[in-house]
Amino acid sequence: CSSFGMPDFFGKADTTVPDAPADRLYNEGLYLLQQKKDYKAAAKRFEEVDRQHPYTEYSRKSLLMSAYSYYEGKEYPEAVMASKRYLSLHPSSPDAAYAQFIMSSAYYDQIPDPSRDQKATERAIKELEDVARKYPNTEYAVSAKRKLDIARDTIAAKEMAIGRFYQEKRDFTGAINRFKVVVTQYQTSRHVEEALMRLAESYMALGIVGEAQTAAAVLGHNFPQSRWYRDAYQLVSTGGAEPTENRGSWISRAFRKTGLG
Amino acid sequence: LQESGVVEFTTSAHAQSIVVQGNRRIESDTVRSYFRVGPGERLDAIRIDEAYKALVATGLFEDVRISQAGGRIVVTVVESAQIGRVAFEGNRAVKDEQITAEIQSRPRGPLSRTAVRSDVQRILDMYRANGRYDVRVEPKIIDQSNGRVDLVFEITEGKKTGVRSINFSGNRAYSSGRLKDVIKTGETGILSFFRSNDVYDQDRIEQDRELLRRHYLKNGYADVRITAAVAEYDPVSRGFNVTFQIEEGEYYRIGAIDVQSNVREVDPTRLRSYVKARQGGGYNAEEVEKTVEQMTLELARGGYPFAVVRPRGDRNYDARTVDLGFVVDQGQRSYIERINVRGNTRTRDHVIRREFDIGEGDAYNHAMVERAERRLKNLGFFKSVKITSEPGSAPDRVIVNVDVEEMSTGEFSISGGYSTADGFIAEVSVAERNLLGNGQFAKAAVQYGQRVRGFELSFVEPYLLGYRLAFGVDVFSKQILASTYQSYDSKTVGGGFRFGIPIMDDVTLQLRYSAYQQEITLSALNNCFPFNAGFCIPAAPALRQAANYGEVLTSLVGYTLNYNTLDNSRNPTKGMVLDFKQDFAGVGGDVQFIRSTFDGRMYFDIGWDLIGLLRGQAGHIAGWGSRDPNLVGNGDLRMLDQFFMGPNLVRGFQTAGIGPRDVTSNSTHDALGGTMYWGVSAEVQYPLFFAPKDFGMKMAVFADAGSVWNYKGLTSYQGPGQGLQTMTVRDENIIRSSVGVGLVWDSPFGPLRFDYAVALTKDKGVWDPVEGRNVGGDITQAFRFSGGTKF
Amino acid sequence: CSGSGGGFTKNYQKGYMLPEGALEQIQIGASQEQVLVILGTPSTVATVSGEVFYYVSRKTSQTSFLPETVRDQRVVAVYFDKSRRVNRVANFGLQDGKVFDFVSRTTPSGGQELSYLTYIFKIIGTQ
Repeated sequence: CSSFGMPDFFGKADTTVPDAPADRLYNEGLYLLQQKKDYKAAAKRFEEVDRQHPYTEYSRKSLLMSAYSYYEGKEYPEAVMASKRYLSLHPSSPDAAYAQFIMSSAYYDQIPDPSRDQKATERAIKELEDVARKYPNTEYAVSAKRKLDIARDTIAAKEMAIGRFYQEKRDFTGAINRFKVVVTQYQTSRHVEEALMRLAESYMALGIVGEAQTAAAVLGHNFPQSRWYRDAYQLVSTGGAEPTENRGSWISRAFRKTGLG
Repeated sequence: LQESGVVEFTTSAHAQSIVVQGNRRIESDTVRSYFRVGPGERLDAIRIDEAYKALVATGLFEDVRISQAGGRIVVTVVESAQIGRVAFEGNRAVKDEQITAEIQSRPRGPLSRTAVRSDVQRILDMYRANGRYDVRVEPKIIDQSNGRVDLVFEITEGKKTGVRSINFSGNRAYSSGRLKDVIKTGETGILSFFRSNDVYDQDRIEQDRELLRRHYLKNGYADVRITAAVAEYDPVSRGFNVTFQIEEGEYYRIGAIDVQSNVREVDPTRLRSYVKARQGGGYNAEEVEKTVEQMTLELARGGYPFAVVRPRGDRNYDARTVDLGFVVDQGQRSYIERINVRGNTRTRDHVIRREFDIGEGDAYNHAMVERAERRLKNLGFFKSVKITSEPGSAPDRVIVNVDVEEMSTGEFSISGGYSTADGFIAEVSVAERNLLGNGQFAKAAVQYGQRVRGFELSFVEPYLLGYRLAFGVDVFSKQILASTYQSYDSKTVGGGFRFGIPIMDDVTLQLRYSAYQQEITLSALNNCFPFNAGFCIPAAPALRQAANYGEVLTSLVGYTLNYNTLDNSRNPTKGMVLDFKQDFAGVGGDVQFIRSTFDGRMYFDIGWDLIGLLRGQAGHIAGWGSRDPNLVGNGDLRMLDQFFMGPNLVRGFQTAGIGPRDVTSNSTHDALGGTMYWGVSAEVQYPLFFAPKDFGMKMAVFADAGSVWNYKGLTSYQGPGQGLQTMTVRDENIIRSSVGVGLVWDSPFGPLRFDYAVALTKDKGVWDPVEGRNVGGDITQAFRFSGGTKF
Repeated sequence: CSGSGGGFTKNYQKGYMLPEGALEQIQIGASQEQVLVILGTPSTVATVSGEVFYYVSRKTSQTSFLPETVRDQRVVAVYFDKSRRVNRVANFGLQDGKVFDFVSRTTPSGGQELSYLTYIFKIIGTQ
């Protein structure tokens, strides 16, 4: 087998950095990271420190810094892998909390918009909950909790979007059950007010005025100043925007307006 | 949970501390931290075992032993070496990156024997999936100086084990050639470096067995059994010989058909109309499946979503008939609790959810779910669509999971081509079928060729405002330069929008509005009068009038009714497509005409691998209302709006080579077009017997006939400051016909077609004493080639 | 009346399917378990106390590309007293449903929104 020191003529150019003392490599990494903002090169440089000087305090710190560099460079899979290696090698070190936090932030930054698959969001929530649980009284936990709310808010937004989809199709059973998920499992999200109002709307459309009034009352009790409560109150009290106009469903009426009907 | 190094405990007599031995690189604290012990808890056997498992799981240690000595826990570890570099040698078919992504051993990670063994197996599997079976993988571990090791996988790939030959035994009804068309696996041949379907792949062979079974079941062989699919490895040719053993059984016709219902309110006679099979017709399993689906859908609509339709086939051996029975039973009552859409990393949730006719809270109905799955697959956004259901939170609740796998729907293609009509032509186009995950289609294309130049932008929203109504917008510009086929340059710029409406299962209606500006230019040589050899060869008066008139705006509304039951659009073998179009120009603009065209094609299977094609075309156009006299002169409508027919009507003729012509002496004898045309064609396509089967070549023998006549454009024109030019028109409604042969090649570069056709009857034109030759006759062109590559 | 299979208008029955004669079997005083056995799991239960079972069904019709319109909507409500015994059964029809336009405003949400430009680069990038 070909020896490794030699540059490899056929394959990719062998980019082994010449051996250098750990601190110089480490500072080169910092320079690349902070001044030149070349995150990938910085990460590679920190990995060199770990490769050439595997026993020193520098190798532990540089493993952490490589995770951070990958994260800053938005190379999320590499950031996660580096943090995981740090946590398995140094689980009880003081920086373990920071490594865990980098991993959870890497997942957090990959959260898509609500109309797409929320697998990445659920993964981020699990990691962020880990940080908050394992390192409760650190500043990472504070930031993790804030990110947790936003992540949960995205899932609540998805439930709301699907609820509105079924509401528009007059499938009120589907709509009500979706809005109920938000009201019961995502009470801390900003969507709970709209969920309660949509419940009032759906029940009114079904003619179950009692339930609509209950939903509006819960909304008014918890969020008296909310615009959603004003809509709900107006809806429930007057029994619908146009009580006189009752010619079939609003779809046929909207239909006549466009003149196609 | 506080991570403390040394474990203190209060109550018990002897101190509990953990001693770590044998570790060189990994700190003792790290090892201790895996002993999860809360403050004040004792280290009992379960905790120790958990710690042992955790330590092994990290992969950092080759060996971990925990013992007790004098009340103290002693952990002796043997650290596994750390990998410096992971490298591969000798791999060509599978790239380094592909392998690194699959194996566990990582640079700077621990070296573990078990991981290396599973990596070797993983690499072997990757090669097997690639069709290479005699591969050897040798892991080599090289000790480096600083306690690191390098891991090298030496791979010897060996030759590609392809499928040398495919043969069938017991097939009487269908030739081996025909059956090879049915299955996916192909034989290794000259073109094998292009394709991968000739590589031996066990599960593709299994799929082929199912394809064969379905093929026979579709064509009357109810008892078919594919008893075996044997693949023997032939060391000489280093490939596999695959043999499919088939027991065809008898050909069955349909006997009695009856529908019964065990559900009281369902009236079976009403469902009888949904049975697709015909009494006396050949048994067709697919028709039975379609009937079951249609019946279930109708029952669901009628208020019986839980009804289940079970087909029954009772064979009558001596009469060789199958009596079909459809029994309606009451199925299990369950409702959809939730529909989870998963895997849609690009497509938005509602784009998938709207393909379902049923929603959350509705009754679960298998036929409707299957229809949704079919619709999602037809969107063309997903590599795979799998809809599965799992029990919900209550016995009568079901959760439906829709798992999709996205694929790239963006296309960036550069295609070149040559056709005798347009010459060389190149097209660059960017298209996206699933814009922003909203399911919208957008395309931008630029064309540049010898005789044709232009661009085209189009956008389609399949669900306008939530209605199942496709809405499309197009903008285009096209310039056709003068050539042997037309003596004028024409430039057309325009746009329009259209609505696509599904009327019934196979019928769609398209409503459209389109407006385009057209302008033609003539060279000075042709835009003059009277004739002056060398200086002036006058074009037809209508052309000169159009050139001098300048831009003409056409603004029209139209509709198209399309009925399509082709079995597959690329190369159909069964079914028909009928297309009826009508356009009303005159909604504003300068032009008023009503144009109607019809085009119908029917494919049918003649047997012995022959595919028959019958085609009929017809068209009519007429002006209406008060037309601007200096636009149409003494004609009914503009010449350029008329039909100019050529090989697209009867092969063997030149573009615009058929129909009325200007026979005035010393003129350019331009084709004038006609207001009426008809055309019929009969063609038989058969695979080339001498070329290997999967070469994708087909021969065709055809006969065409048709005619274009009734010129209604202006015949006299007086240009500014010029004499009155009148034209004599040759407008004979003679049947033009031809016979010919064609070669169709579905090549890896793209579809290519060569046609050679000889005109049997044509209009020979009239003797012109001045020019001393026949003029105004149809222009034939025996050879025609069209094709293009798309990469 | 359901339209013919291939005709223009298609009629659907959506939501809960009330089994034949099931409603008559619900007596005042019946237990929740009995109701669950006869009518099955409710479409939804009361938001707060959970002391009411609602069974929602609707008949819709759909013509070619037009959206589905609701022809009839029926809600069967089964009310329970404190000891979870049926004390009232109510029936709501389409005419009870209030007719109004849903509020079109929605709550903004987080998450990385795909802008046109990033999208175009993504296509080019993947080629």
